[in-house]
Amino acid sequence: MDRRAFLKTGGLFLVGTPCLGGLLVMSAPRTAAASGAGTRRWGMVIDLRRCPADCTACLDACRRENNVALHDDPRWDVHWIRKVTIARKHGKEERTRTVPLLCNHCDHPPCAQVCPVQATYKRADGIVIVDQHRCIGCRYCLIACPYNARFFNYKGGETWTNTGYPKRSHGVAESCHLCAHRLDEGRPPACVEACRARGTGALCVGDLDDPDSEIARLIADNSVKRLRDDLGTEPKVYYIGL
Amino acid sequence: MSEEGTIGRLRTFVLVALPVVVILAPLGYSLYDHVFARPSLEDGDALEDGDAAPFLEFPAERDAGCVRDTEYMRFHHWELLREVRDQAMRHGVRGEISLDRCRTCHQSRERFCNRCHEAVSLEPDCFGCHYYPASPTALTSDTAPAHGPGR
Repeated sequence: MDRRAFLKTGGLFLVGTPCLGGLLVMSAPRTAAASGAGTRRWGMVIDLRRCPADCTACLDACRRENNVALHDDPRWDVHWIRKVTIARKHGKEERTRTVPLLCNHCDHPPCAQVCPVQATYKRADGIVIVDQHRCIGCRYCLIACPYNARFFNYKGGETWTNTGYPKRSHGVAESCHLCAHRLDEGRPPACVEACRARGTGALCVGDLDDPDSEIARLIADNSVKRLRDDLGTEPKVYYIGL
Repeated sequence: MSEEGTIGRLRTFVLVALPVVVILAPLGYSLYDHVFARPSLEDGDALEDGDAAPFLEFPAERDAGCVRDTEYMRFHHWELLREVRDQAMRHGVRGEISLDRCRTCHQSRERFCNRCHEAVSLEPDCFGCHYYPASPTALTSDTAPAHGPGR
């Protein structure tokens, strides 16, 4: 072997070995992403055209499922999903509309940014969730949230309406977690289930990244709005007919 | 036999016996206690006040379906629960281990968890939020909703 052939072969080996290693690593199956929160990106569509003003099926289902405390006092009541009536004037005519409000599960959640102990965080699948084990009750997230979707437990929950899910003690913040415990098991959130059972079907939760999903179709086919889109929080709750 | 010989033998005896009594006897007892006397807890130690009930209430079929062996659970159950909690909470990985699964065998928190925890003055705050009735009979009074679920 002459000097030139030796250098060419040696150089090939020198470059080829790390490249081969990299290829092997890349081709290895990714087990971590396949389990748990996964690679989906959960979002919600609320079709206000199909949402009757006097219906509280989703609110009731949420309270039952997540043991959300109700103390019959607006100072302490906690609402993971609530309905507000908004009025808008078109000339002399005034139109009112009832809108369900809940945590918007922002892609850039201000609540998670201000949390000093990382109790509020965004899961890999985009759900913004509070780890009540870690929450110190500083209430920064209540102030940071532009949607007023966060509530503080001034009093603890008294009872379990659903024994399969914990209630919260006093002194922690909480908000809608899109029924993460149900989504992890492949079941729809309680509000969506109740809405479907009632026959209105105004709520839809699904994978925003999957172009074949029902939610992606709804967003593509309709004129959708997000709340306070100008803030740059990139909320993942879309409203049709707002 | 001379008197000096007796004293000499006594001194030798004392020199041999003293280390045995002072060092080896406690060591031996400790060893015996550790190896043989410890399982009596599993067989059900009577309470100090003469109660015939076992210190801890064991499920009917012992170790039948527990997620780990008894020794591990006795000393490390809190590490296991903490790990399971973080996996479910932070990563959405909900495995088979949960407090609900504990409850299927260890039905009484009062007679299972609390006995040890009270004895060592530890108060875990799991059950302020997580449903685990003090005893199966307390199920109705413990969980009766004070207000309707849908209000």
